[in-house]
Amino acid sequence: MAGIGVVVAILVTLVAVLIPWLPTSASEEMDRIEFVFWFATVICIGIFALVMAVIIYSVMTFRAAPEDESDGPSIHGHTGLEVVWTVVPAVLVVAIGVLSAVVLSQNGSAGTNPLKVKVFAQQFAWRFEYPQQDKLKSGELVLPLGRSVEFDMTSADVIHSFWIPEMGQKQDLVPGIQTKIVVTPKRTGTFTLVCTELCGLGHATMRAPVRVLSQADFAAWVKERQSGGGGDPGAAVFTAAGCGSCHTFSAAGANGKIGPSLDNLAAAAKQAGQPVPVYTRESIVNPGKVIANGYSDGVMPNNYGESYSAKEIDALVRYLTGAKQ
Amino acid sequence: MRAGFVRAAWCAGLFFLIGMYIVVSIRGLAGWDPVYDWNVITAVGALTTAPIGFLLGLGAFDYWLYWISGRPTRPEDHSGHGAYGWKDYFKVNTDHKVIGVQYLATTFVFFVLGGLMAMLFRAELAQPGMQFMDTQTYNGLVSVHAALMIFVFIIPAFAGLANFAVPLMLGAPDMAFPRLNALSYWLLPIAGAMFLASFLAPGGAFATGWTSYAPLASEQPIGQIFFNMGVQWAGASSILTALNFLVTIITMRAPGMTFWRMPLLVWANFTTSLLVVIATPFIAGSQFFVMFDRIMHTSFFVPDEGGYVLGYQHIFWFYSHPAVYIMILPGFGIISEIVSVMSRKPIFGYRLMALSLLGILVLGFSVWAHHMFVAGMADWLRVPMMISTLLIAVPTGVKVFSWLATLWEGKIRLNTPMLFALGFISMFVIGGLSGIYLASVPIDIHASDTYFIVAHIHYVLFGGSVLTIFAGIYYWFPKMTGRMYSERLGKWHFWLTFVSFNLTFFPMHWVGLVGMPRRVADYADRFANLNLFVTISSFALGASVVIFFYNVIVSWARGPIAESNPWRAMTLEWQVSSPPPVFNFDEIPQVVGGPYEYGVPGARHAVLKGAAPQETPA
Repeated sequence: MAGIGVVVAILVTLVAVLIPWLPTSASEEMDRIEFVFWFATVICIGIFALVMAVIIYSVMTFRAAPEDESDGPSIHGHTGLEVVWTVVPAVLVVAIGVLSAVVLSQNGSAGTNPLKVKVFAQQFAWRFEYPQQDKLKSGELVLPLGRSVEFDMTSADVIHSFWIPEMGQKQDLVPGIQTKIVVTPKRTGTFTLVCTELCGLGHATMRAPVRVLSQADFAAWVKERQSGGGGDPGAAVFTAAGCGSCHTFSAAGANGKIGPSLDNLAAAAKQAGQPVPVYTRESIVNPGKVIANGYSDGVMPNNYGESYSAKEIDALVRYLTGAKQ
Repeated sequence: MRAGFVRAAWCAGLFFLIGMYIVVSIRGLAGWDPVYDWNVITAVGALTTAPIGFLLGLGAFDYWLYWISGRPTRPEDHSGHGAYGWKDYFKVNTDHKVIGVQYLATTFVFFVLGGLMAMLFRAELAQPGMQFMDTQTYNGLVSVHAALMIFVFIIPAFAGLANFAVPLMLGAPDMAFPRLNALSYWLLPIAGAMFLASFLAPGGAFATGWTSYAPLASEQPIGQIFFNMGVQWAGASSILTALNFLVTIITMRAPGMTFWRMPLLVWANFTTSLLVVIATPFIAGSQFFVMFDRIMHTSFFVPDEGGYVLGYQHIFWFYSHPAVYIMILPGFGIISEIVSVMSRKPIFGYRLMALSLLGILVLGFSVWAHHMFVAGMADWLRVPMMISTLLIAVPTGVKVFSWLATLWEGKIRLNTPMLFALGFISMFVIGGLSGIYLASVPIDIHASDTYFIVAHIHYVLFGGSVLTIFAGIYYWFPKMTGRMYSERLGKWHFWLTFVSFNLTFFPMHWVGLVGMPRRVADYADRFANLNLFVTISSFALGASVVIFFYNVIVSWARGPIAESNPWRAMTLEWQVSSPPPVFNFDEIPQVVGGPYEYGVPGARHAVLKGAAPQETPA
């Protein structure tokens, strides 16, 4: 039986080691999660191998011949064994629990000088604000390497959830309350932030780009964004508001499919019998007024008129209409 | 007019109009606009009063109405008891054996429909991008699949098996309240019909997952109400059945059947019934609150008006975590019966097996918030909930190790029920171990709301619950039908289901951990190959179940006549003919020993004075 147990254990260990079960870690928090993960895995492999070894060995050894009508020995129990298999698992799970509690506390600590980022979620877009950088707004999440980031999050409508798989940490964004999470990026690169809580029609594609830059590059990015970046201010609003996650707009390289395409605003405005800029502005601040064919009311947030200034909306309208002419 | 489906149809229509009239007249008198509010009319007329009319027409209330109105009630009238032809299965029948079969037949219809829905959305997931449906339809299929499988398949399928077996095992002529038993069954198709009918509602089926979190659920199309109310009917069915089981088990045990001589299936259903009675009102409350937010403009979960969004999750999981045990403890009971009988040995550590059920019952109420580690609840709750969750592994481990010790040195018969029992133990251990990862808060924070969760719950609910349901059906098939199923087809069914189940769900652990969230209609291109593999395997899994249906239907019609005790088991249901007499025992048996005394010379569980079991020649 021990032989079967060893074989099962080796097979399961190979499955555990040869398959890359976790994404390559990109944060210090994920490193600690990985440590707990492997600690639990070692224990689980042992238990699984033991159970399978007893089942396989018993079926091979104790199988009755077809005509054998006799009964097995009348063993009713064994107090010693029962104590062992009550106490040993209890000790093992408490060990996992203690390690988990320590790691949980470490993963929740942001240190003394965290970068603060506010996260706003709404169906089906992410927005970020950097309060220490003059309330810099962005639709892309840009983080500095090696500095703990404390996210302060809330949602405007339903529950969403914040997850960058390579960084491990996850936290729901709940309307009406503020939630917090800490992430300390440990390698540069591009990642994707995904929503993991079912939030409606566009849930599957509610994503945002994430970039981790060296501290110097991050400072440069902040500076460039604060000076307006020299780019089209309307394009900046388009990115910051996350329009592209639902709408297709070739000029911005956006290909969202939740809402109608913005490439043909002129035709849509003509159908509604309005001048293009008027129609476009109205569709941004009051999206329920005219519903494009094949789309339903109530999907697009109706608060852009409040979360963006008139100047920003003007720039966005110019960007959306002008880029085509 | 005579009770039956015709009267049920027009009573349902009439009661819908009554419900609608109440709503419209109140709204009209109060001057509320609009007078015809279809949200309210649907909730009251279609989903509350019409089902009551249906039950009335069917005759579920006839006896009580006679009694209330002072008409003669014929207390010894058994005209609605027992089945003498197939038509008796479509009536309000008070025989627990008929009701058990009604439950199983009904739940398996919902199992097939839920399974077909799973194959539809797996087809959509075979490739990234959208191919066959829009996201509302996708979310609807996912949600209705889960609602059908949980509320009108797994939970009531166990109620069906227990309905058939428990009174027999207790040596009782029937359940304590046979008319209530009949009513509880007929509440079930109503719930299932509501879940299915939501596809016909404007805007599509409810599409917020079976968890139906507020505030998303309060602002969805009208199909959401069909979930809110369907859960009420399924829950009422569960609660009434559980009360019936409790009274039956406490008061109707045969003489000599002390609690410590009860078969473990009875212990399991005793514990499950306690869970149902205590926990189910919480999900009823959570669904009412969500519906009130929508149709009465209350603000239980509306943050702008002082509502508390996380309150929904606390109430919901206070039921829905114990519900996981409602869906597995009866399976534990089935496996204990089968492992002991097929190993020809007493169950190892009988008392600890019974006590571990009670341990799970108590601990099960202290772990609900482990579903909310990333929800934003009070931070201090996380570590205590993690510890209590981890500790549930202890009584569960006791059960697994005791089954293994029962196998040891036994005379193992590897027939279909035993294959499913051993398959269950192996798969449930995997589901239990992945549960340990999810109990650990830091790992859960990474794995929560990903496909790892989908893999975990299918290892627990399919590899766990569904395999035990199959095991139980094969085990009691000869007793229920009086005929034997085909062992050859049963083994084919087991191996094909076992392999395709693992191919379908094991890769989901991986795809979740590396970054794929659950409940998504579309996904990143890098997950495409694994998803295609999973989709193909899921079709194989669906096909494997066809063998089961073929085996059951053909064997029921033409299988060889079964002996009264083909497994040579000691429990009481095997000491009467197959199928049992209408009132189970010609004389109430006298219980003289434990239920699993295999290998003890001369040991008996019970003495049946009058009718010796008639051995029907095969």
